[in-house]
Amino acid sequence: MNPIIEVKGLVKTYGSIRAVDHLDFYVEPGKLFAFLGPNGAGKSTTINVLCTLLKPDEGEVRIASHRLGEDDEAIRRSIGIVFQESVLDPLLTVQENLWTRGSFYGKQKSQLAQAVQAAMKAVEVQDLAHRRYGTLSGGQRRRVDIARALLHQPQVLFLDEPTTGLDPQTRKNVWETIQQLQLQHGMTVFLTTHYMEEAANADYVIVLDEGKIAARGTPLELKEQYSNDSLQFKPRNLEEARTTLLHRGVVWKEVSDLVIVALESTLDAFPLLQALQDNIVGFQVLNGTMDDAFVGITGKEMRP
Amino acid sequence: MILALTKRHLKLFFRDKASVFFSLLSVIIIIALYVLFLGDMISGSMASTPGFRYVMDSWIMAGVLAVTSFTTTMGAFGIMVDDRAKQLRKDFDVAPIARWQLILSYVISAFIIGVLMSIVTLVLAELYILAYGGSLLSFSSFVKLLGLILVSVAMSSAFVYFIVSFFRSQNAFSTASTLVGTLIGFLTGIYIPIGNLPDAVQWVVRVFPISHAGAAFRQVMMEDAMQVTFAGLTPEQFNLSAFKESLGVTLSLGSDPLPMSAHILIMIVTGLLFFGLTVLFASLKKKKLN
Repeated sequence: MNPIIEVKGLVKTYGSIRAVDHLDFYVEPGKLFAFLGPNGAGKSTTINVLCTLLKPDEGEVRIASHRLGEDDEAIRRSIGIVFQESVLDPLLTVQENLWTRGSFYGKQKSQLAQAVQAAMKAVEVQDLAHRRYGTLSGGQRRRVDIARALLHQPQVLFLDEPTTGLDPQTRKNVWETIQQLQLQHGMTVFLTTHYMEEAANADYVIVLDEGKIAARGTPLELKEQYSNDSLQFKPRNLEEARTTLLHRGVVWKEVSDLVIVALESTLDAFPLLQALQDNIVGFQVLNGTMDDAFVGITGKEMRP
Repeated sequence: MILALTKRHLKLFFRDKASVFFSLLSVIIIIALYVLFLGDMISGSMASTPGFRYVMDSWIMAGVLAVTSFTTTMGAFGIMVDDRAKQLRKDFDVAPIARWQLILSYVISAFIIGVLMSIVTLVLAELYILAYGGSLLSFSSFVKLLGLILVSVAMSSAFVYFIVSFFRSQNAFSTASTLVGTLIGFLTGIYIPIGNLPDAVQWVVRVFPISHAGAAFRQVMMEDAMQVTFAGLTPEQFNLSAFKESLGVTLSLGSDPLPMSAHILIMIVTGLLFFGLTVLFASLKKKKLN
């Protein structure tokens, strides 16, 4: 299948700072694609370039087979964007906001009314139609922001940190809405985030660090490649356990009365457990997390 | 598309009570000062002449109208500055709207706001004049005033858009509006009649385009009042043309007072000039970017 987003050699500099440094990637249609990285990694810059808001210094971008810089208007018609901060009018009602924005896409009145209804339905904000946007809660606003991005039935939906600043419950709701749009409406979703657990739900993840791609793959691939599973157990006799481990040439860590052994792969736990079986009170094998993967890739703890 | 945007700007302006109030602030100040002491001060010895109050009320209200047509238009452009400062513009920039369509929507909405607010001011002014013993304008004068409002607001729209296009922050804009709101009363000879100002300052007033709106409004609004009040006075007792000149009812750039058509022409030319400057600056900026 032809990629819906194609980026080759993308460079964007601000003065002497290279915010985005020779990015190459593509996104397949219908996928949920995540850009993961700390603040200042170049995520927002990339999204702003793709959305035609920023001119790239170098590189080629194609979205829905339209070339950026040549056919920006066609690109604008085929993408919807949810910005990090609200861009709707607090003094207008939800419906008024959507109506105004919907009119940008040159629809007839009846079509427009339909589009507004459909967008509100997709994110379940019909009840809020006549409330002023400024009086809504953070989560409600986010939904309306998404509805605005859906007004013209875009092929690609961009979301710049859609869940930042929301409480955990609301974050989950918003995230479910996004996944629903992808699965039920077959929309391509391109989002940036600095939450690991969100990136873990994507089809494909690119880890961005200081403007460069630090790693890429499915969440599973990344976890396998960059994080280690571990065996944690509580020994009956600590001294004995130490001798066994030393004997087998494994490296371990001790945290209070727990012994933690890093594993190359999950299956490596078997021989260890067999060797230790008479000396174990309890154990668990933990899978590597995206957090571990991130630390493994960038050598940095994630700063939210 | 332009229509929907214009509607949006209008709703935002009128739903924000503070912005409506502040766009009228200088008008409120002028009226308060006039009621409290300016009125008596300017009238001086003439105050005892019967009907003189009608003349002076009409005079101040014409000035107020000139100021309103400018300050409310300026207030309306606050929406545009706000959109830029709060980055709401991004949402328009990612949509398939052309820049000129967006700009036009701001200008049209400012024009509509300026005209509506001026008409409201005119109605209130007439009620004030009526309450203090004056009479209402004739229908034909009212129509003339409407025409003048349209021209004056159109000029203000072009003028203010030019100024506002330099402001990136809400702060700079509100400082400028306050400054303009304060100065405009002086620059158009409303706080102090032009005749009481030193020669050099008189020239500033004469070349300030909004003074011409003021003069035009005064000529229409004071016509009846002056006729009624000064009808019985002979030229020896009362020099009407000197009176008009000193209150800024007429302005002269040479020896003779300018006719109405000249005032209108000056407003139109000013409007076109600033429109031209805006287009010129915009195209220069574009060149620099590429």
